[in-house]
Amino acid sequence: MKHPSGIPILAACAALLIIGAGAAFGQTVPKAGLPVLTTSAGQSTDVETLNIVMEEAGIKYDYCDVPTAEMLTAGVALGGRQSGPGFHVEITTDTAKFPAGTPYKAVLIAIGASLKGMGASGLTLDSEEARLKKLCEICKQKKIFIMAVHIGGESKRGAAGSDNERMIDAVAPYADFLVVTKDSNKDGRFTKISKARNIPLAEIEYALGLVDIVKQVLL
Amino acid sequence: MTRRKIPALAGILILFVFLAGALVGQKSEAPAGAADDLIASREACTSILVGKNASADGSVMATHTCDCGVCDWTWRHVPPADHKPGSVRRILHISQYVTWPPSQGLKWDLVKKDYAGFDIPEVPHTYGYHHAMFGYMNDQQVAIGESSIGCQPKMRNSTPSAGMDLTALTLLAMERAKTAREAIQVMGSLAEKYGYGFHDDGEMLAVADPNEVWLFEIMPVGPLWTPKSGKPGAVWCAERVPDDQVSVCPNESRIGEIDLADKDFFMASPNVVSQAVDMGFYDPKSGQPFSWKKAYSPREGSAVSTNGRIQRLWRFFDIVAPSLRLKAETANMDLPFSVKPDRKISLKDVMDMTRDRSYGTPFDPVQGIRGGPFKNPNYYRQTRVIDNALAEYTTITQCRASLPAQIGGIVWISFGTQDTACYMPFYAGATEMPKSFAVGDHWTFNRDSARWAFDYTDFHVQVAYSAAIKDVQAAQTIYEDGAIARIPEIDKQALALHAKNPAAAARFLTGFCLNNARTVVDAWWKLGDDLLVKYNHLLLYDAEKRGQQRNQPAAPEWWKKAVRIFDILMEPDKQETRQGGRP
Repeated sequence: MKHPSGIPILAACAALLIIGAGAAFGQTVPKAGLPVLTTSAGQSTDVETLNIVMEEAGIKYDYCDVPTAEMLTAGVALGGRQSGPGFHVEITTDTAKFPAGTPYKAVLIAIGASLKGMGASGLTLDSEEARLKKLCEICKQKKIFIMAVHIGGESKRGAAGSDNERMIDAVAPYADFLVVTKDSNKDGRFTKISKARNIPLAEIEYALGLVDIVKQVLL
Repeated sequence: MTRRKIPALAGILILFVFLAGALVGQKSEAPAGAADDLIASREACTSILVGKNASADGSVMATHTCDCGVCDWTWRHVPPADHKPGSVRRILHISQYVTWPPSQGLKWDLVKKDYAGFDIPEVPHTYGYHHAMFGYMNDQQVAIGESSIGCQPKMRNSTPSAGMDLTALTLLAMERAKTAREAIQVMGSLAEKYGYGFHDDGEMLAVADPNEVWLFEIMPVGPLWTPKSGKPGAVWCAERVPDDQVSVCPNESRIGEIDLADKDFFMASPNVVSQAVDMGFYDPKSGQPFSWKKAYSPREGSAVSTNGRIQRLWRFFDIVAPSLRLKAETANMDLPFSVKPDRKISLKDVMDMTRDRSYGTPFDPVQGIRGGPFKNPNYYRQTRVIDNALAEYTTITQCRASLPAQIGGIVWISFGTQDTACYMPFYAGATEMPKSFAVGDHWTFNRDSARWAFDYTDFHVQVAYSAAIKDVQAAQTIYEDGAIARIPEIDKQALALHAKNPAAAARFLTGFCLNNARTVVDAWWKLGDDLLVKYNHLLLYDAEKRGQQRNQPAAPEWWKKAVRIFDILMEPDKQETRQGGRP
């Protein structure tokens, strides 16, 4: 069975799903704008997926796996930080449009805990939690839009109190928009956070569904 | 300058050069960026492949040194089963790396919670097999070895759209395949249909049967793939090792140019080239032929340029075919896929290869002062050798066409680092694994766990490696060489039983394997005890003579000189104090 034009069709389906999900909560997909920083909560490889989504959407972005509040405040180009051991930076933002130092309008955070990833970055669960807390606080202060994403699915969720759940607790309640795959939300955890904090929530079937969402949020 | 000072200064100079080299080495050890992950995933397992006409006894062999250091090491036997029409096979996400505390249960019970969210139609009959982290040998003599090879970062798919992990694929291959080719098709087609990745990315498998051995490589196709796309959810390729040749995979992609018209030597998914074109890894207009490894899993460097970090590929070929005089400076990507060995390779040769430490090569881990006074190869880990202190276990599978599958297939298992362990045979027809093989983890010492017996011995060898390893080698001669020597007789007896009653042959083989394993595990616990006594206080205690006389293992003169040189280098102003003999 061949569907050469399958991706646009699926993207349209995903968009419909989002609208449906938004409608279910009486909300629409919020707008944030550019420039944008992508990062990870928990250092799993889900942030790689997020970056690939951005590329697929044709959106230029800055990426840092472990940005601090200071780096975030420094705006586009993260104050000139360079990659080093256990610290990765990628600057693709169009600096002609958004010169270095331009404040970010949005931060996209891929939630997913990986002890291997945290170990590579020299982080413990506690230090990662503390870093994320500061990051979210500075976003709130500077009115930077937080879009939290969970695309790891059910089997990467973990039990209450597990590494992954702690990452969710560290970020999701502070988000301005939650986007999760359906199987990440089988137990309704994100729905509960969404309702309790009045945060718009979109459910997608696959990571591919994120492509259309980031376009709507950022462009 | 006096003549006496010249050697001392020369020593200092050498030490400086050594330290500078070490610092340079350290820098290359920790590159920044995404390459970090690629290299990390590429410093794990080694898999050796031996064609039937390259082996001394006509067996096809494949190995897997399961090098992890924190992973599960437990083994299980899964019996064959018949399934009613309409049955389904539940698919689980099984991570190679995740373990649970023993108090919570055993991995192979707990993974059942990690349902991948879908079932696939079951086949009418599934074969029995032995498995640990992967499926290794089924009752049809289909065998597997593994090595992670990584892939282009854009290809990784850790999202749930990737329904199949590598472990699950190997278990399904064990259950469903009667030949190596069937195993490849089973794994390839399931990965295409249900998507591949999740816990894994670029991976290599040695897939063997009594006639041939294939080198199979598989990659995800990126996180934006969905099962509804109608496109394959994986890209894979397999190349057969010529029957008279040997090959190896030391955590790097080995398949280069491919000729799919030559169906006896190549198999691939339908997207094998188009995926690379779509993802920008290959331009057909470039005028260059398509190369699988260059497109999907490129790697820079050679044994020399990486300070020995990626020297296993060169080293393996240098062991098996020294007459080729392959150069350690040659980029790994330019080394051959396989070579004809200078002489036929025996099972014992393969065991020795898995214990190889690159002694006598430019990457010798004990050259100079690297190994300390007792030449311990575990001190200096800049060179990545085949024998690995992080090995959970190592397998050598033998598939032998001259015997019925039950008897022809053997997986030899050793626990822990290879040099201090002992290979134990498990026939394909054995229907049980020892209970001690099914328990234990890295964080809780457990005398009921076979693996801990080998770690126990290994730990005590580290005290005075150059002396204690000889005690281990003596034990290996008794228990490992002894088992190898017994195999022809066991084969003969099993064959006689098999002719009358295959079930009786299975019971006989099971009894032999369990009894041998129990004997070896007991011997290694005792060996650990003996080493503790013998090298206690770093002295040589003779438990038989019980005398007052004890001798410290001799610290060589060169080591004493190296200590003096180091003192001069680090604190030259204190030399007079030291030479004066004051503390």
